[in-house]
Amino acid sequence: MPKAIFIDTTHCTACRGCQVGCKEWKNYPPVPTKQLGTHQNPPDLGPYNVKLVRFSEHLEGDTVRWYFFPDCCRHCVDPPCKGASSVEGGIIQDAATGAVIYTELTAKDDLETIRGACPYDIPRQDPKTKRLIKCDMCIDRIQANLLPMCVKSCAMGAMSFGERADILKQAEARLEAVKKEFPKASLLNKDEVAMIYLVADEPAKYYKFAVAEAPSPMTRKSLLAGVFSPLRRMAKSMQG
Amino acid sequence: MTNHYTDIGNADAVFIIGSNAAEHHPISFRWVLKAKDKGAVVIHVDPKFSRTSARSTFHVPLRSGTDIAFMGGMAKYILDNKKYFADYVLDYTNASFLVGESYSFKDGLFSGFDPAKKKYDKSQWAFEKDENGLVKRDKTLAHPRCVINVLAKHYERYNLDIVSQVTGVSQENLVKVYEAYAATGKPDKAGTILYALGWTQHTVGVQNIRLAGIVQLLLGNFGVAGGGINALRGEPNVQGSTDHALLYGYIPGYHNAPISTWKTLEEYQKANTPVTKDPKSVNWWANRPKYIVSLLKGWFGDYATAENDFGYSLLPKLDPGMDCSHLFIFDRMYQGKIKGGFIFGHNPCQSFPNSNKVRKAVDKLDWLVVGEVFHNETTDNWRRPGADPKKCKTEIFLLPSAYRAEKEGTISNSGRWHMWHYKAIEPIGQCRNMGEMFVQIMAKVRALYAKKGGALPDQVLKHELPDRFDAEEMTRKINGFFTRDVKIGEKEYKKGQLVPGFPLLQTDGSTSSLCWVYCGGYTEAEGNLAKRRDLTQTPMQAKIHLYPKFAWAWPMNRRVLYNRASVDQNGNPFNPEKAVIAWQEGKWVGDVPDGPAPPMAMEGGKYPFIMCTDGHGQLYGPGREDGPMPEHYEPAETPLTVNPFSAQMSNPCMKTVSGSEYDVLCANGDPRFPIVLTTYCMTEHWCSGSETRNGPALLEAEPQQYVEMSPQLAEEKGVKNGDVVVVESLRGRVEAVAMVTVRIRPFTIMGKTVHLVGMPFAFGWTKPKCGDAVNRLTCSVGDPNTTIPEYKACLVNLKKADKVTEL
Amino acid sequence: MKVSRRGFIKMTGAGAACLTLSRLGIDLGPAQAYAAGLKIEGSKEVISICPFCSCGCNTLVHVKDGKIINIEGDPDYPVSGGGLCAKGAALRSLHVSEKRITKPMYRAPGSDKWVEKDWNWMLDRIAQKVKEQRDKDFVLKNADGLEVNRLESVFSLGSSQMSNEECAVAHQSLRSLGLVHIDHQARV
Repeated sequence: MPKAIFIDTTHCTACRGCQVGCKEWKNYPPVPTKQLGTHQNPPDLGPYNVKLVRFSEHLEGDTVRWYFFPDCCRHCVDPPCKGASSVEGGIIQDAATGAVIYTELTAKDDLETIRGACPYDIPRQDPKTKRLIKCDMCIDRIQANLLPMCVKSCAMGAMSFGERADILKQAEARLEAVKKEFPKASLLNKDEVAMIYLVADEPAKYYKFAVAEAPSPMTRKSLLAGVFSPLRRMAKSMQG
Repeated sequence: MTNHYTDIGNADAVFIIGSNAAEHHPISFRWVLKAKDKGAVVIHVDPKFSRTSARSTFHVPLRSGTDIAFMGGMAKYILDNKKYFADYVLDYTNASFLVGESYSFKDGLFSGFDPAKKKYDKSQWAFEKDENGLVKRDKTLAHPRCVINVLAKHYERYNLDIVSQVTGVSQENLVKVYEAYAATGKPDKAGTILYALGWTQHTVGVQNIRLAGIVQLLLGNFGVAGGGINALRGEPNVQGSTDHALLYGYIPGYHNAPISTWKTLEEYQKANTPVTKDPKSVNWWANRPKYIVSLLKGWFGDYATAENDFGYSLLPKLDPGMDCSHLFIFDRMYQGKIKGGFIFGHNPCQSFPNSNKVRKAVDKLDWLVVGEVFHNETTDNWRRPGADPKKCKTEIFLLPSAYRAEKEGTISNSGRWHMWHYKAIEPIGQCRNMGEMFVQIMAKVRALYAKKGGALPDQVLKHELPDRFDAEEMTRKINGFFTRDVKIGEKEYKKGQLVPGFPLLQTDGSTSSLCWVYCGGYTEAEGNLAKRRDLTQTPMQAKIHLYPKFAWAWPMNRRVLYNRASVDQNGNPFNPEKAVIAWQEGKWVGDVPDGPAPPMAMEGGKYPFIMCTDGHGQLYGPGREDGPMPEHYEPAETPLTVNPFSAQMSNPCMKTVSGSEYDVLCANGDPRFPIVLTTYCMTEHWCSGSETRNGPALLEAEPQQYVEMSPQLAEEKGVKNGDVVVVESLRGRVEAVAMVTVRIRPFTIMGKTVHLVGMPFAFGWTKPKCGDAVNRLTCSVGDPNTTIPEYKACLVNLKKADKVTEL
Repeated sequence: MKVSRRGFIKMTGAGAACLTLSRLGIDLGPAQAYAAGLKIEGSKEVISICPFCSCGCNTLVHVKDGKIINIEGDPDYPVSGGGLCAKGAALRSLHVSEKRITKPMYRAPGSDKWVEKDWNWMLDRIAQKVKEQRDKDFVLKNADGLEVNRLESVFSLGSSQMSNEECAVAHQSLRSLGLVHIDHQARV
């Protein structure tokens, strides 16, 4: 049975337990950073940062809005990156959980193609091994009946893991409640992804790639037709 | 905390002021959000919009150091609009007590002030007593000297206009907060106040908290589930280390350290044991002599006898009024009066205000023993930037400390939960735990004294100290033993048995206990209760997130203090849905009640505020150094030239030192330093950052010193987001990256714009290019009751850096 | 599928247990090779407590071959439910950090470097310093002629980092030397 993770950003305090917990579990090496005038650091996802809490602040009239978005792979139900991959066994989808996994064979794949195929701009490359890197839903932990590390770390009730059907139900119920205070609240691409975000405001106010705007996720067929290229350009320009 | 973390989930209103709970006590917010999900309003009042504000129902910015004005306005609002819980106020607080005629308040000063000594004669604030020694009361509340009327008169001046002008909070926002929070004044509603160092670290710190106490008493919020006044304490075991009194003025268990004028144990006990003539008042501190004698027995063992005052004369004694806290330690060190010492798990060269002074003071030591896990700004002070190691004559002993998972023992969280942690591995390398360090140093010192004698050898040698450090055995010693066979009531206890609880501690030397509040936490029947992991609850306990069998809480496993104030005089809960205790069929159920006495209206019933001499919550509290009721004073450094509340600009009793050229303060409204600076820690680094800067993922998330400022100030100063700026005060300069953010707003104070900036104090020079101590800017002044320094408000200016050296 | 630590492990009274994993009811498929093993499999699990703020989050420390290989939150701790903030989540790295001080280090007056010393040498020298200072500066009576029995020239600062048991030993030790300049983080 496929699994899903519900990320309720209205409960996120950006404590970054998930960001650090993920990194610790994965034993990723440190990334040198600088203070650039924001709490968001590292500035972007990277090969050693597959979970990143994004911060965005807005002043609306007299009200400050500060949004937190724990970004990572959405584990698409029908992953366009898998469709874009030309390396057999490089990108696999675990039948038991639905987790989308990049194996070491992705070293032979083309970053730009794969990243361009992703509506959420997730994939990155390890400069040393050339392997493509992103969140693997902590498949090792799930198989051992443990929670994914980000979900485990979250004490705020902002992350829940479970059967897709249950998680969808939970997400819908929470949306209902949140909408009373925040009418613009929505669930992002809930039918297409396993990592289901609830945001209280327009998704773009959280993060440029919070939601997939194109007919998404792309099917293998549309990918083969080369429809993913505009997305790739978008990702590239954003990467700057 | 009067209550505890999981209890926050029971609140109908969560009022966070003087705290940034989501960032500095991240996990506490789990319970704030649980309360919010159930419909609670979450109010955040703080100078900057933080991650706490982001998840609160609303945030209200206020100028740092004006909390008393803000809260005084709330007290007035509650009284004017009769929002208080009338029965609670009448029955459980001292609202009806008559204040004596010698009390007065005039233009910022209470009666009894001695300007030369900067001290009050507190006897002038005493209550009026009748011929039997009982405090006079007027339960009709008509008498003008009734506490409630004195209180109303005092806060009459705190109207919306003046409070708004001083705090910078709009009148609309003031009313919004007052209304939302005062709604908890109903019997079935509860409001909790969460505060932290944002309240204590002011020259009026204690009075900030006093005023929260007053508000909570008016609203009937003490003792109830989801209520109380809850200090989110900063450090891993700062609750326990306070209980065990690593503080000059106390000995373990909240007893004053002896002073020279209490020449004998009898004199000490007399001076420190409050007396009440009211039979309904429990006056718990009347038990103090039992705890003192048991402590002395714990320390001196068989040597301690009634004949030798249980060893009392061997205790070091202070002179009356002598202050030996940080502020004065570094002042005396700077002046060369202090020669050597110990610093364990502490980084004052980074974390103490006016750190330029502190760093120079530490240079002057002859010797220093430091126990640490990582090198930090204190261990390596001698090689700090700009210092010449050759000139530093200090001999330094750096002892490698075991880290948490390498040792076992108990810590006490903010909610007083006494919890055991196990040793996962042996300490790495040659690390040792700090208990062993003390034991081993003392063993060597004692051997020297035993062999060679010296100054008062008995003081060193008569103490019973362990030969080796065994945490479990110490837990037992802290709980305490019977020192001989005794019979108490019908029950017999054998020598060496654990004392089942502090009600059984004795004054005759038949019991020992190293800290009475923990007595009852380790029993013959159940062993070490700090190890309990049982999550079972009764349905009543489950309703209020009470886990009575998980670990143990002092006192006597009571989870909510003053819980007798959660029921009416017949023992019925004010809010049956969230009952903490209830009197059912002749006994209490729920939490462990504040004493076994039946409800107040019944025969043998007692008042609920058992720790107060008169048994009542103190709206008017004549015990503090700086007044029986809080009054707004400006911080020691203020952008104002006039305090609109009175002619008294700053706290008349605030503590100051003058031992160095760094002990300087700006004149009021100094045009050279027009910006208010507030300082704080952060989620990703802990306190001075000396540990967490070594966590790669943490340093990556927060790598460098920053200064948060409003876009308006940035524009005024020609600073862009990400620029390096120099922030300067009268005492020092600090480089920081500008974080220009809408989360900081300029204030309008007395018709003028006042800017505020905020800086974390986690970045120090031992981690290259991350910046250095923001405390080089802050000043050496302290609260008159606690001498806690004023970290949260001082004056600075800033400019774009033309040269960068620290980042 | 109910996922919790309690779902697959029961704590023993000693606070430590051995992990043996059974992968029940999950079709591993092609991901099996990818997730070849769980790093904490076969490790000892010990309950500890985060050493930072006073939330006191209980932690599970996983130990293999005498080394800490993982630290995560303890779901049985009612306050946290198993969560940890960024600091708590970094505990493994901090414990195993190469920056840890692991040997007694001595810095001589005027020196520009640390020198390794053995524990005994350090303890002897510290004891000697303490005794010298105490014997030199001990105050039996104050200016008013009242007994004070104190040592003013030596101070102690810290530590809320210690356990209650360590605090009790520390307080007693310091008072037994006559110290009055005693303070710690409760004030700062």
